[in-house]
Amino acid sequence: MKITGVKVTRRMHETNALAGRLAESCCIVMLSTDAGLTGIGIADAGVRAPVRRLVADMLVGADPRSVTGIWQRMMDAQSASHSGKVLSRAIAVLDQALWDLKAKANHEPLWKSLGGAPPTANAYASSIGLSLGDEELSAWFLRMARDHGLRGGKLRVGTEESGDARRLERIRAALAEATPEPVLMIDADHGWSVKQAIDRVRAMEQQFDLTWIEGVSRDRDARGLKQLSDAICGAVCVGKGFATIGEFLPHLQRRSADVIQIDINTIGITGALQVADAAFGLELPVTLSAAPGNVHAHLAGVMPYFMSIEIVDPEPVTRLFTSGVRIVDGWAVAGDAPGNGLVLS
Amino acid sequence: MKITGYRVEQYLMKMDRLVGDANLPSGVEMLPGSILYLETDEGLTGISFGYGGGAVEGLFGLIEDADPREVVALWIRMNDFLHKAGNEGAACAALSAIDMALWDLKAKIAGEPLWKTLGAKEGRVKAYASGLDYCLSDEELFAFYRRMAELGIDGGKLKVGLDLKADLRRLGIMRDALSIASPRPVLMIDSNEYWSPKQAVRYIRRMEQHFELRWVEEPARRWDYHGLRLVSQQVAAKVASGENLHTLADVYPLIANQAVDVINVWTGQSGVTGLRQIAHMAHAHGLQVSMMNAQANYMAQIAAALPNHNMMEVVDPGREHCLRWDNRIEDGYIVLGDAPGFGIEIDEQKLRELQAHPPTGRGKFPFPRREGAGRYIVPPAPGEVPWRRG
Repeated sequence: MKITGVKVTRRMHETNALAGRLAESCCIVMLSTDAGLTGIGIADAGVRAPVRRLVADMLVGADPRSVTGIWQRMMDAQSASHSGKVLSRAIAVLDQALWDLKAKANHEPLWKSLGGAPPTANAYASSIGLSLGDEELSAWFLRMARDHGLRGGKLRVGTEESGDARRLERIRAALAEATPEPVLMIDADHGWSVKQAIDRVRAMEQQFDLTWIEGVSRDRDARGLKQLSDAICGAVCVGKGFATIGEFLPHLQRRSADVIQIDINTIGITGALQVADAAFGLELPVTLSAAPGNVHAHLAGVMPYFMSIEIVDPEPVTRLFTSGVRIVDGWAVAGDAPGNGLVLS
Repeated sequence: MKITGYRVEQYLMKMDRLVGDANLPSGVEMLPGSILYLETDEGLTGISFGYGGGAVEGLFGLIEDADPREVVALWIRMNDFLHKAGNEGAACAALSAIDMALWDLKAKIAGEPLWKTLGAKEGRVKAYASGLDYCLSDEELFAFYRRMAELGIDGGKLKVGLDLKADLRRLGIMRDALSIASPRPVLMIDSNEYWSPKQAVRYIRRMEQHFELRWVEEPARRWDYHGLRLVSQQVAAKVASGENLHTLADVYPLIANQAVDVINVWTGQSGVTGLRQIAHMAHAHGLQVSMMNAQANYMAQIAAALPNHNMMEVVDPGREHCLRWDNRIEDGYIVLGDAPGFGIEIDEQKLRELQAHPPTGRGKFPFPRREGAGRYIVPPAPGEVPWRRG
């Protein structure tokens, strides 16, 4: 099987906001092959130009089953060009489309191609990226608990101390519909310094049992994050938006991350598998940040120290595509359709 | 597809020549072999090679009726099952053998070679020659590396440790033999844990006055990250180790403590899944891995897919009595064919013959540790090796 070309849809705007929350606009990437199979990936619309260039330069004529090697070649070329995050996202979405093809060629779901068991991935609800007022926040998490059984929730914090506590309490109360002990996480969206984070988290920990905190300070400040981890009860979670395995290295060396977060939108599936293996060496739990159509659920069964996946939209909120992943009783269940289960409408 | 049963075949081989190192310089020519067959309800059979004989029974219940395509999840299940007892010893060997056979099946189900299942861009792996050659005369040493150089192989790893002057002479012989493949052959040495770290530093620095060494293998004990790091800091060559550790958890202290520069990997490290974990951890730390030698070079199937693999060890002592394989060495590379799985078939008739009439010969595995190891050097006694003392 050989790749023959790519189609990239036009830029789709916020009105079509995608499951998995990718910035403000998105596009769908469709890799075509001489076998008639199409590999699908969804990404930020900024990737359209680099995706076309990468496919023309490096993918046409290649066998998608060689995805690991192709990914490495794209990463090596990127490293030589010192390009930024947009190119990383382009490589990541092509990697996802290649894995989709590899699984489709085997007539099996992606989770099986990866070597996993039928995944029932521990999932949590995340309102990040949704601008919700207090009442809307309660209603949204209540729906997550009632309709999907989600037992964990993540709040974006940082603006105002009393507001953060009040909103976290709303999440806890809503999730109490599903469990007596909701799992609570917070994301500071890089708005706090280390010392500020220590003060704020310690204060919150008087009232809440926080499983982790992410988005503190700078992601590369391993020393600062270690300082934070040493000062609070909850775990420090690091890795969202990382596009190379090398970005994780300082955190592995200093043990400044207690939970490793992997973002398949930036590091791809191939990179995600490598990072998960490395995390297993330190027995660091691995959590996967949100992805369109919740396709990241396919990866859960193949990661030896898998912890959880982030769910922003339990079902695609747009009519552009359907996903084979269902959120049932707090677990993400990847279906049996061939490939990643994304079907374009 | 479901796994329905297994069988294990064990046999004994007489290799074409002796192999030996600092611990047993007189060498051995007898090699035990074992093959695990995993059977499925659709007629496909997964095979693996190694020393998994006895303990497979204790793990088989965990994979019976499972779909072999779910190999990584099955690895996790087996590893979790071994939690309290530990993924060690015979249990680790069995887990490794099962995992390998599952990957063989996964690739066979997809109708493709394993390198492709693992996502490799091409089935091609750079090779280096390794004579396991302390038992070879100077002439035999030259002949071995020249034969390898004629296949385009431009790197060699010499067994050393007992006699500095002789080792230097033989390094020169190896280099000369390889020089038809490259004007600057890649030279490596392996002392198989015979030295203390400080002995290693003294010995290697004197060697480095005459030769540029790419890596020195097992210059201190397998678990001694202080000692290995000390050697790495005090010699120009890289330090390689890891072949005698069997899990990511065992290897990790070496990585975390900057004790090694190259990690030797092989399927005995908890299977394809386990060795890939080690390679990925090494990759995260910017370290390279090197695949160990294997019967019919089958491990090249895995090496081809590792992002940080440098070159694979080729010994070729004659261990393929009952095997047919689909790869060849060309221009210094192991080139893998398109046969599914590991690309290896068993000649059942020859296997039966070996089992019915076990060959006899010199020595047997495993190598014991040599007297003096880590403390003082006991040079080869007269008649122990076919080469002249330095």
